[in-house]
Amino acid sequence: MHYNKKQSLVFSKKDATLQWLGSSIGKGFLFLIASFSAVIVFLIFWFIVKDAIPFFAEKGFKEFFTGTNWYPAAEPGEFGALPIFVGTILVTLGAIIIAVPVGICAAVCLSDILPFKIRQIAKPIVEMLAAVPSVAYGFFALVIFAPFLQSLGATTGTNVLNVSIILGIMALPTIVSVAEDALQAVGKDLREGSYALGATRAETLIKVIIPAAASGITAAVVLGIMRAIGETMVVWMASGNAAQIPEPIYNVLQPVRTLTATIAGDMGEADHVIGSMRYHVLFAMAASLLAISFLCNWISEWITTRDP
Amino acid sequence: MQLKTRKFINKLFSGIGITSVVIMTAFLLILLTPITYKGLGAIFFSGTIEYRMLNYKEFGHGDKENIEKEFAKAKTARAPVYLQFDSFKKEVKKLEPKKRREIKNQLKEIKEALKELLGPFPDTPIPVLLRNQYGQTRWKNAQEKLHHVLYSEEWDYSDPTKPGIQVFVPRKKYFAGTSFESFFPYLEKNIKKMLLPKFTCYWQFLTDKSKDAHFFGGIMPEILGTIYLALGAMIFAVPLGILAAIYLSEYANPGKIISFLRICMGALAGVPSIVFGLFGLAFFINTIHVSNSKSVLAGSMTLALLILPTVIRSAEEAIKAVPNTYREASLGLGAGKWHSVWTIVLPSALPGILTGTIISLGRAAGETAPIIFTAAVSVGLPLKIWETLSQPTPALSWNIYNLCTEHEAVDEIRHVQYGMVFVLIAIVLLFNLTAIIARARIMKKLRG
Repeated sequence: MHYNKKQSLVFSKKDATLQWLGSSIGKGFLFLIASFSAVIVFLIFWFIVKDAIPFFAEKGFKEFFTGTNWYPAAEPGEFGALPIFVGTILVTLGAIIIAVPVGICAAVCLSDILPFKIRQIAKPIVEMLAAVPSVAYGFFALVIFAPFLQSLGATTGTNVLNVSIILGIMALPTIVSVAEDALQAVGKDLREGSYALGATRAETLIKVIIPAAASGITAAVVLGIMRAIGETMVVWMASGNAAQIPEPIYNVLQPVRTLTATIAGDMGEADHVIGSMRYHVLFAMAASLLAISFLCNWISEWITTRDP
Repeated sequence: MQLKTRKFINKLFSGIGITSVVIMTAFLLILLTPITYKGLGAIFFSGTIEYRMLNYKEFGHGDKENIEKEFAKAKTARAPVYLQFDSFKKEVKKLEPKKRREIKNQLKEIKEALKELLGPFPDTPIPVLLRNQYGQTRWKNAQEKLHHVLYSEEWDYSDPTKPGIQVFVPRKKYFAGTSFESFFPYLEKNIKKMLLPKFTCYWQFLTDKSKDAHFFGGIMPEILGTIYLALGAMIFAVPLGILAAIYLSEYANPGKIISFLRICMGALAGVPSIVFGLFGLAFFINTIHVSNSKSVLAGSMTLALLILPTVIRSAEEAIKAVPNTYREASLGLGAGKWHSVWTIVLPSALPGILTGTIISLGRAAGETAPIIFTAAVSVGLPLKIWETLSQPTPALSWNIYNLCTEHEAVDEIRHVQYGMVFVLIAIVLLFNLTAIIARARIMKKLRG
């Protein structure tokens, strides 16, 4: 807007239009940028599924989800990915068994038990655990933890137990911080009401606060599961990468192979032969991973928004 | 329930909670202690004369005169060893055939081990591989190699019910009664004179290129690659993230579209990192061809997508934390919406935005899976800044994986692996520490 001799506080019609135009264009531009993440999600979904379709079109779903022979490099290749799915589930389950109790207890402790000053020290510890790069965890698992397990008598140090423990540690910070937020969000009045009725702190927490924060805590667990399923480097380095179902299934000292590790490991060889089944099967695995992660995301979203 | 039991349960509960926090702390310490200790060993260690010679010849570090003087000293200490070898060769011929065969085998093994310990024999052609041109550069490894020279590794099957046990037999035993017997005590006694171990601070580990597939030298190309990738990811993600956060917190009216956008952001945050890698390969490289093959550019773009949700979320939180009175005052003075966002809200939110940015910078530096197919190579030279548009780079995170799983001599270069892990963790934690301290200050300021 320019000021002429007859200065006026009111916009001329032209200026007002310009102003309106400018602001709506700006707003539109900002909206486009904000919707960029949505575009990316769709692009990711499209590009992964697009390359997964040829595999399912040719081989169908049965062999992939129920077959137990994984020999993608053979001629003709065998693509039974059941052991890989089982491996993924096993290490995730192991990680959750380790991370959930410790994580929830730690979250309760951080939000309600520790005094403010100690909390200020303890919180950065959680953040540091979250910040350590996954390849460093993998290195620890492979070079330090695996020989240690072997020295205790395991036949191989790179096994389900090793990976579960390390993944559990990695999922901890997610669980702790989300669960703690949920516990904090419950608010003072419920706590004070409970104390006023004569409950001890433990009773208040167990009977009032934790049930009130249950949805947030469940969401924390789901996010922890997602973190464990999607992790690549640790499982690639320390799971042993053997495409087999442990015998018996609860034998945690046997090596397994997971979806993420298979993608990371095979792609290096398969991307020279773009268009082969070996290439497409990896995209089929990525699509499965994507489906699992979207599902988990949806579940956690649903849980947190379900009750007011 | 009795009051006593209730009190006991209360204490037990607190105890369990505190234990789990302690467990978490213990995990962190167990993880960081060995990595810090051994990682620092890549920089501070006891280096031999071979190390100083190599460092002078290959990298030009150190004082020439001193090193040559030292090397001459070491050479005189080594001379009797080689002399003994030569003189013993004649003696071997006189032995009876059975003993000769056994001794010849032992001699061959000793020669190989000695080559690894002290470098190639004098007056032999210079080996092709750099690692064979020098003896042991680190005193700790030298002691292991010395053990190889002095003892032969054998398997004991004397108990048929059990699998064989590994035993170390002194090689001296095979040479009893010959003139070579004195070789072993001489070597063991004088090894320090031959290698002259000395405490070394190899800070150039951070600034040297690597030689011969990380057998020698430093990790500069990897550090540089990591910095390129992380900064590149920031260049793409930060402007996008801040603008998106401005829209979401200042302009957007809550409604179906916005909640859909938020769901998408959540979904993006949940996509496994390896899937980002596949997407980067399929989209950036194979579809829109930002570069012909792997490049820093493609890697940074992939990493940018990975950290975008984090950047948006932290920027949004920072913008929301700016008190509403600021906005109202600005609007009340007659500033337009955008004007007040740009000049009032954003500057006050800046420290908070920076905190989130620094944390995502650390995340981008540490990620491995997205760059495997888009940016990382195992061996490479440091890139010039314009080469990042088309060239792949080595990076700390990828090379840690590569060196400890695919390298031909994994055990010999443990110190380099530990050094890399240590440097990577140090970089990432330093970023995070900065962010944590900065945030504490902001909180203090906001609280007044």
